[in-house]
Amino acid sequence: MKKSTLTLLAALTLASGVAQAETFQEVFNKHRAMYGKGHEFTYEGKTYQTYHPEEVEAMAEPSRDNAEALVASAEAKRQDAAAVGYEWRFTGRILKQAQEALAEERYQDAMDLAAQAKYQARMAIQQQAYAEENWHLAVPE
Amino acid sequence: MKTIRNWLLGAGLVAVAPLALAAETGFTLETVDPEADRLALQEFYQKRFPGVPVEEYVNGIYAVDPPSREQWDALMEFPPYEFDLEEGKVLFETPFANGKTYADCFENGGIGIRHKYPYWNKEEGTVKTLEQEINECREANGEEPLRWKKGAIAQISAYMAWTSRGKTFDIEIPEDDPRALQAYLDGKQFFYAKRGQLNLSCANCHLQGSRVLIRADLPGPMLGQPTHFPVYRSKWGEIGTLHRRYEGCHRDSRSVPLPPQSEEFRKLEYFQTYMSNGLVVNGPGARK
Repeated sequence: MKKSTLTLLAALTLASGVAQAETFQEVFNKHRAMYGKGHEFTYEGKTYQTYHPEEVEAMAEPSRDNAEALVASAEAKRQDAAAVGYEWRFTGRILKQAQEALAEERYQDAMDLAAQAKYQARMAIQQQAYAEENWHLAVPE
Repeated sequence: MKTIRNWLLGAGLVAVAPLALAAETGFTLETVDPEADRLALQEFYQKRFPGVPVEEYVNGIYAVDPPSREQWDALMEFPPYEFDLEEGKVLFETPFANGKTYADCFENGGIGIRHKYPYWNKEEGTVKTLEQEINECREANGEEPLRWKKGAIAQISAYMAWTSRGKTFDIEIPEDDPRALQAYLDGKQFFYAKRGQLNLSCANCHLQGSRVLIRADLPGPMLGQPTHFPVYRSKWGEIGTLHRRYEGCHRDSRSVPLPPQSEEFRKLEYFQTYMSNGLVVNGPGARK
């Protein structure tokens, strides 16, 4: 076999290997998009459920302490997103609703809303990091 | 041994491919080439909308969508910004309390200078916009600054644009101050970076998405967008500034919008107006 053919084969093999391997996050996102939260799926032989980490946090006992802690951590995450200039439009509004629910002692509502806001803030931070690395791919050449 | 070497060579090629791409296309301060960007953008639109002359892009969506153009031509028989132009002229010429006017703050008495904005101010180390200098003029003469988005500031800016009609944009990026090129690069990154809950960049709507329906609206091409501002927008029912539109677009992506005249928006205007170099001032404009 010629050297150039071998080189091409090596590149193709490596590239196709990279393309085929799905990350945990890709598999999670696919199942979450298709079935919503609480769906079971397997990845590399283990079983997982399609809950975001924030939704798992909101499953704790609906107490004042837990609600206050989740609202506070969501607010901190929102501030992190704002600091990199990527805060989403409704995150602050959802957090305000969470704080209102907390004030009215509706702890589960407060935790669910705070989880939603915290998830949005986490996604916004991820979005900023992705954009920083990949924005150039959209530029016409 | 040769086989191993060839495998390593192949693996190396795959690994360095993204780096090589980044180095060639100008996305760092060392490699960015504004003129290459401008020509590539024109080429993109010439392929996207064959037969539309580059100079037509000052008319926005009406350059590339004939049905919209028909409606716009009818609207322009009595341009909706005419009253604002008249009011802008009055405001521009009315002396401040100290007897001075806007003409005292600007080169050539403020007449026919729109095509020079925005520009890089080396002393202040920042991009300066026309609206920004209108307000600085007021403050320097003991007046309260105007609000950024609409009303008097848009009317004065509209009058100044009108006195500059037909002049060609020639935004400069001074080579002796790398901060200017960095500001351009930051504006370019802002334009192409996705943001907000809808994960949209400016480019998604005004590059790939130009003349593609978003519900009932057709986004215009980015080439030529700054040339016709400020605009009387039918949706607003009044005249407004470019940064008002930036804020609205930013909000529409479901981001917390930046304020008008923020540093990021001024850099965006710098980038976007540089992309329109060679086109003429045709502001104020009228849009849907």
